[in-house]
Amino acid sequence: MVDFKKETLKINGVETVLHTAGKGEPLLFLHGAGTFHGYEFAKPWADKFHVIHPYHPGFGESGDDPAMDTFHDYVMHYVGLLDALGIEKVHLVGFSLGGYLAAQFASQQRERVKTLTLVAPAGMRSAEYPTLDVLATPGEQIVGSLASNFEVLKPWLPTGPDPDFMGARYREATTLARLLWEKPWDPKFLRYLHRINVPTLIVWGDEDKLVPPQHADIWKKALPNAKVEIFKGAGHLVLDEKPEAANAVAAFAAAP
Amino acid sequence: MTARFNFMHFMPYVHLPKNHKDYPSLWVNFPNKYYDPNKAAALYDRYLDELEYADKVGFDAIVVNEHHNTSYSMMPAPSLIAAALISRVKTARICVWGTPPNLEYPNRLAEEYAMLDVMSRGRLEVAFPLGTGMEYWANPVNPATARERHKESIEIILKAWTQDGPMTHYGDFYTYRFLNPWVRPLQRPHPPCYIVGTGSPETIELAAQLGFGYSAVFVTKKRAQELNNNLRERSAAHGHAVRPDQLPLGIMTYVAETQEKAEAEFIDHMRFFFEDGLRTVPQYLAPPGYLSIDQLKARAAVGDKLHGAFDFKLVNDALFVAVGTAEKVANQIGEWGEMMGTTHFNIQGALGDMPHWKVMKNMQLIAEDVMPLVRGKKPARLAAE
Repeated sequence: MVDFKKETLKINGVETVLHTAGKGEPLLFLHGAGTFHGYEFAKPWADKFHVIHPYHPGFGESGDDPAMDTFHDYVMHYVGLLDALGIEKVHLVGFSLGGYLAAQFASQQRERVKTLTLVAPAGMRSAEYPTLDVLATPGEQIVGSLASNFEVLKPWLPTGPDPDFMGARYREATTLARLLWEKPWDPKFLRYLHRINVPTLIVWGDEDKLVPPQHADIWKKALPNAKVEIFKGAGHLVLDEKPEAANAVAAFAAAP
Repeated sequence: MTARFNFMHFMPYVHLPKNHKDYPSLWVNFPNKYYDPNKAAALYDRYLDELEYADKVGFDAIVVNEHHNTSYSMMPAPSLIAAALISRVKTARICVWGTPPNLEYPNRLAEEYAMLDVMSRGRLEVAFPLGTGMEYWANPVNPATARERHKESIEIILKAWTQDGPMTHYGDFYTYRFLNPWVRPLQRPHPPCYIVGTGSPETIELAAQLGFGYSAVFVTKKRAQELNNNLRERSAAHGHAVRPDQLPLGIMTYVAETQEKAEAEFIDHMRFFFEDGLRTVPQYLAPPGYLSIDQLKARAAVGDKLHGAFDFKLVNDALFVAVGTAEKVANQIGEWGEMMGTTHFNIQGALGDMPHWKVMKNMQLIAEDVMPLVRGKKPARLAAE
């Protein structure tokens, strides 16, 4: 497997760390709201693609910018990142919070997106199948809800009290609060999704306890050119739990 | 020395259900089905009587404060309590310490406080706390921007009180096209103001900048001393000299005829206060963005010994707790006044589930036996000067 190299760029003044590997068409992966479980699943993608795994501002290894308090700021951040990298078009893959962000990016910047893959994307409002409000849920409970097979998470979790781990999660929750505390939903989100005319894949684990897999249908109806793949026996971290899900992401980008 | 004595009441809802220990937090999500309005009505009557009595026996001020979603306090709207007190409390000052100004529309809070000041003929004092972490789970205000909003709210309130309207305010959080409240405080330039906090540098800086008083709560004696020093230093840097009466010192106080009797009568109620009043969980104490990452890590590293656990020795050693005979308590208060450079004592003498008779007796003994002793004592430092 290829080694990822770390790169640091300043985008609109924000220190942005990206891990990149591989040659081929660029594939930009947007992570979820908790970065502690790494991105092992994305590493094989580098066999076929130039994989770019950035940390969002306020998450993981990237710097903070408290002024970034809307998703529009994050969309513009990634416009800036692609410009800085000299990349015109990407295969865009987003997981959970990153899926919501990827969908917003694609609805506003579709000319820069070749294919779109949304893995258990957050952000769809459903009274019938509510998303777990991670801002109101105790950390232990979130961790317990992430995977069907808890073993995949274990290597990434501290074995005892760990102030650094807590601090890192608190920082990411703070960034999330800036975006979502007062209004966890964008009532106009659905209004612009029809603009995403690029081939789209929706991936879900059928045992997702964070974002209900029933959302896959809502997304499919809202997106003009989307298909759905559900993986049985997987929770929210479907990519970490099922190598075949990660393979499906790369296969779709290669031949949508 | 010249000493000012406040009597502070927390007004707890004390009728907890038998199974309340099943709930790790009595804040935020403690089910309000356990709130009985009839029992609460009786408690309000009783607590207001107690505060009326505090005035009668000679306390200089009455202090009330604000909390939400909790049995710890029945004062989610402390201005209402203050309004109820105005006609009962004849001479004491009335301190609303206070509504977190970022949880209300600032013009509305400026109006409420100005009304209280006018109706009490200039007896109001206010504090502008940031509010505990718990308040941010109960109110629709973002904890991640709480400090910035807090600062802007205070700016608007001061503007409303001190400048002639109509004015405009175009801020980050609030827009006022016509800031022109038709109630203005009687005290000029405005009622005495304080910041109440737990010692974060941002809060001290704000108090120093505005020339406000400052009071740290739930910090150790050593830390409280450092904080008062920091405030003096930072205030001086902003051109303000902090007066001793601007540094209210909270003291849990209980006086009885002997040391043993005082401890026997008081300690169980202190236990109630810490275990069954303050009891909550780390998540509620620190909503996302409420603390800096460094503060969160520091707090996680030391652990929390206040919100749900109680050890009298530990609390007695660490915090300002004066329990004993009038003489002992007076000496402690005098000593702490010198140590903290303050003449302003905020007596917390109605703690937890204390019965009415103990609150009344405690108030009387403090007023009749402790206050004169403290006032008769000249602090060594001032004597030397």
